[in-house]
Amino acid sequence: MTVVLDAVSKSFGNVKVLHELSLEVQDGEFLVLLGASGSGKSTALRMIAGLETVSGGRISISGRDVTDQLPKNRDVAMVFQSYALYPHKTVAENIGYPLKIRRLNRTEVESQVREVAAQVRIDELLERYPRELSGGQRQRVALARAMVRRPSVFLMDEPLSNLDAKLRGHMRAELKHMQHELGITTIYVTHDQIEAMTLAHRVALLEGGRLQQLAAPKTIYEDPENLFVAQFIGSPPMNVAHGRLDEGTFVIGEDRVATGGTETVANAVIGLRAEDCQVVAPEDGAIRAQLFANELIGDHTLVTAKIGEDMVSIKAPKEFEAGIDEAIGIAFEKDKLYLFDRDTGARIRRS
Amino acid sequence: MNRSAMQWLFEPPSIRDMAPGTKLIVYAILTFWTAFVLFPIYWVLITSFKSAIDVNSGPVYLPFVDFQPSLHAWKELFVFDFWDTLRAYMNSLIIALSATAASVIIGSMASYALARFEYQPRFGVVFMFVLVMIGAFVAVGRYGVDWRLSCAVGVAIFYFLARALGRHFRARLSNGDILFWMISQRILAPIVVVVPIYMMFQQVSLLDTHIAIILTYTVINLPIVIWLMYDFFTSIPIDLEECAQLDGATRFGVFWDIVLPLSRSGLAATTLLVMILSWNEYLLALFLSTSRAQTMPILVAAMNAGERGILWWSMSVVIIVMIIPVVILAVILQRYISKGLLLGAVKG
Ligand SMILES: Nc1ncnc2c1ncn2[C@@H]1O[C@H](COP(=O)(O)OP(=O)(O)O)[C@@H](O)[C@H]1O
Ligand SMILES: [Mg+2]
Repeated sequence: MTVVLDAVSKSFGNVKVLHELSLEVQDGEFLVLLGASGSGKSTALRMIAGLETVSGGRISISGRDVTDQLPKNRDVAMVFQSYALYPHKTVAENIGYPLKIRRLNRTEVESQVREVAAQVRIDELLERYPRELSGGQRQRVALARAMVRRPSVFLMDEPLSNLDAKLRGHMRAELKHMQHELGITTIYVTHDQIEAMTLAHRVALLEGGRLQQLAAPKTIYEDPENLFVAQFIGSPPMNVAHGRLDEGTFVIGEDRVATGGTETVANAVIGLRAEDCQVVAPEDGAIRAQLFANELIGDHTLVTAKIGEDMVSIKAPKEFEAGIDEAIGIAFEKDKLYLFDRDTGARIRRS
Repeated sequence: MNRSAMQWLFEPPSIRDMAPGTKLIVYAILTFWTAFVLFPIYWVLITSFKSAIDVNSGPVYLPFVDFQPSLHAWKELFVFDFWDTLRAYMNSLIIALSATAASVIIGSMASYALARFEYQPRFGVVFMFVLVMIGAFVAVGRYGVDWRLSCAVGVAIFYFLARALGRHFRARLSNGDILFWMISQRILAPIVVVVPIYMMFQQVSLLDTHIAIILTYTVINLPIVIWLMYDFFTSIPIDLEECAQLDGATRFGVFWDIVLPLSRSGLAATTLLVMILSWNEYLLALFLSTSRAQTMPILVAAMNAGERGILWWSMSVVIIVMIIPVVILAVILQRYISKGLLLGAVKG
């Protein structure tokens, strides 16, 4: 089922935390709302769920305007970060609660509970209470409870963030598989870009309550709309260096880098991913830099260097060796270069 | 094991893990304390079997050894004064149970609303209501206007004033103000309000009726219920309630299925407290009842006022029968008072 946000905004008192957010989630799509803490992801999700009133704009689910509907009439299920299991109900009662409210008869509830419990592999735990479960098991119960009534839309607010790293990776894969199997439209909130990149069909990146970019993970990585997106996605974040753009030539210190365009921008920024750079001899590089530190990290060496005042990271082969403060050159292919307007943060696309 | 003094105080080790010497001391202290607590009850019990001579001739402690127990006080109350005793007992039961039920039901719902909904009444409108009500009371009390007429006119005036002027008041009250207003009802000592309450019930001809005392007790207990339950309700993770809403529950369904079961400890403790307060209340009952609606505390006090001096033995009998219902209720409710109800709800 589709979910459409049309210029949805939200204010708490005088503070506007969501600015005219518009997005369209396709039927069966896995959309991830990604953003730093406080960027308004949870608020957006809670508005879709109906737990938060809407200050402006409309929300519709499956083509039906639900802006003023109660949560229970929206046919959405939510998995909370805290899992929110009912502590006084057994696992079976927790999962069966949405069905019980819909007045299904007991045998029907039981069989459906069994079915989803088997799907998430907690059928052994049905008689237990939430306090007797581990974090991962609680997570599965919360998931089963959301799945049991086949909602139009799944909403998940950082569902994996309370798990330890290993379990998180495992559950991530399971979630992805499950969503694929069930084909239910899912909106998933996270601050973890790995989660976003691995799970999403499309990622919506939020910052300060504004949508920065809505695109497939690959696009958002390879073709960021602006400086913020470029620096948010990727690990280590995209390197940036400040300079000016002079008729298509980027001027930084004494170095001049031909970018292939013709723009002139007084305050410009170039962006380069760590893996797109090579460390070379000073005279062979496009930009000269000073080595700041190098760290061997398993299969590669992470070289940190200074270009003027800017720090950049470069992935070098693990055999790389050089002394601190040595001069180095940085080489890269021209089409791996990103240009941004420093004042607006907007991407400068080469004409 | 290094344990701080605080840990010793608040997370004492199990008595089973103690060294034998320590264990002995702990048991000795506990035994002493038990005796200390139970002694008054024992004293009342034996006094109820004493005769006037036994009481007046100095302390005697052991029945059959120190004195010959007799049933005269029990007989007096349950045979000669049977109907009076029974009536007071039934009055007490009806009044305390009704008042407890009413204040716990109304109070917990009010408290939940204050914990989970946001109210913003306009200050000016609330102020107008108070003014109009004062006017209505003055009209009744000072100028002898019929109370029904006065109330109806007051409500009508308030309604039109609020409709006409309400929008112009900017300042608003919040939930915190309402909560404080509730508890402020208990800051006044009951003796201060007893005369106005008396006059109110006199106006509506309800003096010496159950309903008057039940209403009064409900009102004075409401703030206690609201304040105690507020704490329990706010300690329930809001996620649970939101999740239940998304699962399809109505607001009332959330309250019934999730909130009530999770606050049953608080509810049980509050019920018990309110029941005890209503059961033992004396001052208001003294003013509001003259004969038909007299409660047990009044009966006890009456033992004090006879021409024969204080009837310790009769008083003891009444006290013993008065303790029984409270003990029963405590035993029933104690099962619901348990720790860790919220365990496993969130994270973990
Ligand atoms: N109930 C609220 N009252 C006031 N401010 C709120 C409330 N809920 C969230 N906010 C504010 O809105 C902003 C976005 O919050 P949130 O949506 O929770 O961010 P995220 O989930 O992306 O971390 C934050 O600055 C937060 O302080
Ligand atoms: Mg959040």
